[in-house]
Amino acid sequence: MINNPLFLLYGVLLLGATGYLEYTGRSFDRINQQKVLPKSIRDNPGAYRSTYGGYSRYIGGK
Amino acid sequence: MSCSLVSPPLVKAKSLSCPNCGAPVTLRGFAHTLSAVCPNCLSVLDASSAEFQILQTFQGKERIQPKIPLGARGTFNGAVYEVIGFQERSVQSGDDFYSWDEYLLFNPYKRFRYLTEYLGHWNVVRVLSRLPEPARARGRAAARMDGHTYAAFDSMKAATSYVIGEFPWQVRRGDTALCEDYILPPYMLSAEQTDGEVTWSLGEYWPGSKIWQAFRLPGSPPDAQGIFANQPSPYQGKVGSAWRTWLWLNVALFALLIVFTFLKSNREVFRQDYVYAGKNSEAAFVTPTFEVSGGNKNLEVGAHADVDNDWIYLDFALINDETGQTFDFAREVSYYHDSDGTEGSRNNSVVIPSVPGGRYYLRIEPEMGPTAPSTRYEIFVRRDVPIYNYFWIAALLLLIPPALTTYRSLAFESRRWHESDYAPAVSSGGGDD
Amino acid sequence: MSAPAANCPNCGAPVKFRWSSAVQTTCEFCHSILVRTDVDLKKVGEVADLPADASPIQIGTEGVYQNKGFVVIGRIIYEYEQGGWNEWHVVYNDNTNGWLADAQLEYDVSWPATPPPQQQLPTTPPQRGATYVWDNKTYEVTSITKAHYKGVQGELPFEYWDKADVMFADLRSISGDFATIDYSENPPVLFLGRAVEFDDLHFKNLRLFEGWTS
Repeated sequence: MINNPLFLLYGVLLLGATGYLEYTGRSFDRINQQKVLPKSIRDNPGAYRSTYGGYSRYIGGK
Repeated sequence: MSCSLVSPPLVKAKSLSCPNCGAPVTLRGFAHTLSAVCPNCLSVLDASSAEFQILQTFQGKERIQPKIPLGARGTFNGAVYEVIGFQERSVQSGDDFYSWDEYLLFNPYKRFRYLTEYLGHWNVVRVLSRLPEPARARGRAAARMDGHTYAAFDSMKAATSYVIGEFPWQVRRGDTALCEDYILPPYMLSAEQTDGEVTWSLGEYWPGSKIWQAFRLPGSPPDAQGIFANQPSPYQGKVGSAWRTWLWLNVALFALLIVFTFLKSNREVFRQDYVYAGKNSEAAFVTPTFEVSGGNKNLEVGAHADVDNDWIYLDFALINDETGQTFDFAREVSYYHDSDGTEGSRNNSVVIPSVPGGRYYLRIEPEMGPTAPSTRYEIFVRRDVPIYNYFWIAALLLLIPPALTTYRSLAFESRRWHESDYAPAVSSGGGDD
Repeated sequence: MSAPAANCPNCGAPVKFRWSSAVQTTCEFCHSILVRTDVDLKKVGEVADLPADASPIQIGTEGVYQNKGFVVIGRIIYEYEQGGWNEWHVVYNDNTNGWLADAQLEYDVSWPATPPPQQQLPTTPPQRGATYVWDNKTYEVTSITKAHYKGVQGELPFEYWDKADVMFADLRSISGDFATIDYSENPPVLFLGRAVEFDDLHFKNLRLFEGWTS
């Protein structure tokens, strides 16, 4: 291990990043977060138009 | 009490006149010198007898200047040696012609040493009194000595093409010897065979800077070109330790994975079956509410659909019943299979990073193709899940440094062996560096 | 190592023996070869001027081999087609004697092999590459040399001033052992020994060379 100090550093940083990302619970998924929505959605779900409305193969978020 | 008239107490270097041109020739090798070259007319003279006869006159066109001058003194292994002889040896094999230089180093109390130099690569050589034994390694010829195995590298017929200074044997321009080299970097075992006998010697690779330091020469040594037979690899030892480090890093990564698997509660907070009955069923609907524990942990929302060679597109909105905060996302679940294999999966999910605790419900809008049959699907929500993707990516990224080191080491060795007798055949004349 | 002193029968100079079993010696002053009889010294010949040689060893040089001290007391100078070498006669501090070959600054210590080896010595010089086993070691013939003596000096364990050509077979083993078969006598004589490094002999009282410190 002493022969490759840079690798060890790289590995430790990688593990640290992995641990951090895991801890914060992030994922690669793209989520679109909206502001507050009117409570009427529950009663009339069809009235809500999300950004993903309508079929097209999921291209990706903004 | 040894004072003898036969052996004078202080041995002086003899100086004689060249029988060809009259210039003075000093014998710095004392009585060891058997052949001496006149520094003026370059005739090879027989120094073994008092007559100092001419063995060979110089017919060549130009002088060669040795890179280390005759008379220079340098320190090797704690002892001072003086350069007293110089030879250029050349090899002609087919269209290839190349040459290297040899320097004879002398100390009246120690053995002779030799320096060889080829394209800026130096070796410090000593003659062996013990014999290596023939061996085989990896299907090729090798030599074994003192428990080490040296791999055969090349063999050639070398001729003395230029000589100045003194030598403890009879030397003439045009003398040939059959040379064989065996390597174990940084060492090289060489056998030189003339019809009388075989002489083995062991060389150690020295970089030019070390040679220049030993002789305290001005300026800098000639640049080393290409990779030499016994040049030590800069990756020596690094490949093995890189993979050992990789192993320990993976163990640590796995331990990290275990830790997080236990730290995350990974609790299911909602699961429900639904059926998509075609365009006739309602386009969008909402699920009952469910409780999500406190803290800003992640939330996984996913679906399992019994699709068979078909797809279902699910548009989601996760809505906080109290605050109205909404997360928008969508996922397609598609699964195809035929005689060639499968594509896709019956599962798909999304992980939302920081979801505050509270009461939530989902708004779901499913969609399938116009001819899709009635399909059952299941929606689930899990709180505080581990994300294994990161570990896979980290494992992959960890592979890069040892793989790179291994590649570089192999490339170095490949360049080394390209110069040997065992290089893969090249169609056109493999140009020497 | 005191031994009876005597006087050279030729020139009267004092002759000292460092080794009690020496058979022959040379007078340093008049170069006479002297042989020891029961009673006195007898002159049997003269040594011509010794050829200049570059051995760093001289008579009187002291050294240590494997914790046994020795003193150089005599030598035979051999000459062959490609040069020459010295066979230094040494006596150890336990009063045994041996040889130290000095060829091109390569050193080999050896002793007459006693008792005679199991395997018979070839009566004629063997070929290069032939192998023999003595003392559980395998020796390979590395060189066959035809040589003659060029000069003698100091104390020797036998009478020797013959100028006839003599064949020597040198043998070496993988682990640094050395052997030589001397065909000057019939049956040939075997010497076994080892190759040694200059530094390992811890020499003292070496010759001095102009421009060098020892």
